[in-house]
Amino acid sequence: MILSPCSREKELIELLARGAWPDACPPELRTHVAGCRACGDLVLVTRTLRRARAEAAGAANPGSPGALWWRAQLRRRNAAVERVGRPILGALIFAFSVNLLLAGGFLVFQARHGLNWFSWLKQIPQALTLPLGALWPAGVFDSGWSLMALIPALAALALLSGVVVYVASDKQ
Amino acid sequence: MLWESVLPNLFAGDAPRAAELPMDSDAFAGFYDRSARALWAYLARVSGDPALADDLMQESYVRFLCAARPASHLADGEVAGRRYLFRIATNLLRDHWRRPTTASIEEIPEEFLAASASSVQADKQAMLSPALALMRPRERQLLWLAYAEGYSHREIGEITGLATASIRLLLFRARRKIARLLRAQSLKGGPEL
Repeated sequence: MILSPCSREKELIELLARGAWPDACPPELRTHVAGCRACGDLVLVTRTLRRARAEAAGAANPGSPGALWWRAQLRRRNAAVERVGRPILGALIFAFSVNLLLAGGFLVFQARHGLNWFSWLKQIPQALTLPLGALWPAGVFDSGWSLMALIPALAALALLSGVVVYVASDKQ
Repeated sequence: MLWESVLPNLFAGDAPRAAELPMDSDAFAGFYDRSARALWAYLARVSGDPALADDLMQESYVRFLCAARPASHLADGEVAGRRYLFRIATNLLRDHWRRPTTASIEEIPEEFLAASASSVQADKQAMLSPALALMRPRERQLLWLAYAEGYSHREIGEITGLATASIRLLLFRARRKIARLLRAQSLKGGPEL
């Protein structure tokens, strides 16, 4: 389709926008519009759509802006909370996987050394007859590793790794 | 070491600060009063569905407020804010048209269908007058933005995401088409729009 815009279209658009058509329009422009198809279309369509806009705007029943304001605030707050929670979730997942890995490694290590975790329980009756300082079961330290030392170490490591991941992901 | 220094955002209250809207409620109320009717008219006439226009208008304002820079749009002048709002509404309309209808016809009771179909049809007839109803949604959108709202081709490009050259051609065709329909309608003696 060949575009054939009329040279007087701009002038006419301005008149229509100001509401000056047809009363405040120069007579020669009115004559031009009567003979120019593009300008005739422009006037017809603009006036019809402006009238339709006024009718539709009159029929509109916009609600209270307060409700929309409240909804937007709620949505924004939820998004903010979600943003803050994302690094924490990452840290939790990381800490959990480190824990699993360490627990697995510990189990493998213990399995290689005979799984004698509760051997120190047998020594408690003997230990009760000894002075208080000797209450700590000697067998605990026999293998170099113990549950009592390892569990707090694991917990501390998991906590620290979680914090490190949180800080790192938060900076990103 | 304090926990506040390790987890600064959690304890310093960044979440509530981020939740604050970048526009105060009075400024929004003023902007809403001046723009809501025009936006509703656009949505209702282009979609032909007043109920949908209600929903999309509300969603447009909520998204406008949640956007990162509504205040800066208003700082550029209310015209820029209004244009941004129309852009959001246009995108919502497009998403609505693209979305497949999810409800199966078998799942809806017959009485409901009969009642709602007639009311929707009546609404459509009232909102979408014969000439506009014969236009494609994209044509209705462009015609409304250009001739009812008075936006320039560049501004329509910003709102719809179309290239200015395409808008010029599409508008030219659409205007010719609707003018022909309006003339035919006025010859028949029917309502124009």
